[in-house]
Amino acid sequence: MALRYLNSFISSEAFKNAGRELTDGVPRLVKFVCCLQLTKTHLLTVVLTYGPSMLPTLGLTGNLCLAERISTRFEKLGVGDVVLLRSPDVPKKIVTKRLVAVEGQSVTYIVDPKNSDTSETLVVPKGHVWVEGDNIYESNDSRKFGPVPYGLLQGRVFWRIWPPKDFGSLVQSKGKDSVS
Amino acid sequence: MRLLSHLKQWRAVATEAKHVSFAVAKFIGLIHLTESYLCSSTLLHGPSMLPTFNSSGDVVLAEHLSHRLGKVVPGDVVLVRSPDDPKKMVAKRVLGLEGDQVTFFDPNRIRKHNTTVVPKGHVWIQGDNTYASFDSRSYGPVPYGLIQGRVFFRVWPPDGFGSVDD
Repeated sequence: MALRYLNSFISSEAFKNAGRELTDGVPRLVKFVCCLQLTKTHLLTVVLTYGPSMLPTLGLTGNLCLAERISTRFEKLGVGDVVLLRSPDVPKKIVTKRLVAVEGQSVTYIVDPKNSDTSETLVVPKGHVWVEGDNIYESNDSRKFGPVPYGLLQGRVFWRIWPPKDFGSLVQSKGKDSVS
Repeated sequence: MRLLSHLKQWRAVATEAKHVSFAVAKFIGLIHLTESYLCSSTLLHGPSMLPTFNSSGDVVLAEHLSHRLGKVVPGDVVLVRSPDDPKKMVAKRVLGLEGDQVTFFDPNRIRKHNTTVVPKGHVWIQGDNTYASFDSRSYGPVPYGLIQGRVFFRVWPPDGFGSVDD
């Protein structure tokens, strides 16, 4: 009796309509996901940043920001941009730091601001960039892992969307030349 | 009026063009996604990977899954974004992962051996042709994040058709 009910259900119009909707909906969903993935990889993506290394620019608890990928691809990143990069230490992790110097520029940095005042200077080699967090006391950046190859840069953060009171573009800093 | 009938024709052409361009965009998008995440073909040239790959140009297939899953092992030929010139992609062989000890000839002084430990998050890449290869012996270990894919099959020249394995 249950089998008869099952048979009648499978041959019913409702079931066939549902099947048709599914075969229509799945390709549409796949196309949508592909489109979304392409946009995320090449145009614009939303990132959640957290951690103390970019205080006061980006907060300690998460900030949702928009990052664009066009500047990295066309090499239009400038000193003072907040960038996303793949960490040279932990390849699966994407970190947010500020671009402080590009190839050929000479950068002077304080090695360990918590313990001493010593600073060092070096020239950023070809094909590399120097990144630092805004909060140099709590930032694991180029001062620890050295200049970063340009190929590791993933995007430029340009707009903050959460929390709502901080909605707006990120403040541009002039990098190493700014007066503190 | 002739102008009105022309406008109607243009409208039909515009709709047709819209449909065709959507179809083309979808196709290109699909090809691009396949090339970025699954399998792509590349032309390799240069002497740094002799005798494995010809200097005049080999067409190979590279897969883009292994490095995302962390399954790159020493002995793999990988495509890497050059640390010197970010627009350039090079093909080299991975000789050491993070923590491995690597021994190599210093390219400037042939008789001298050097040994280094590959730092965390980096790999050591070398061309098979040690005499004509600009690789980790010159620019040091490269971050794992620069690896773009793994070469696994050669398509051209026909007498080299087959998988690329050590």
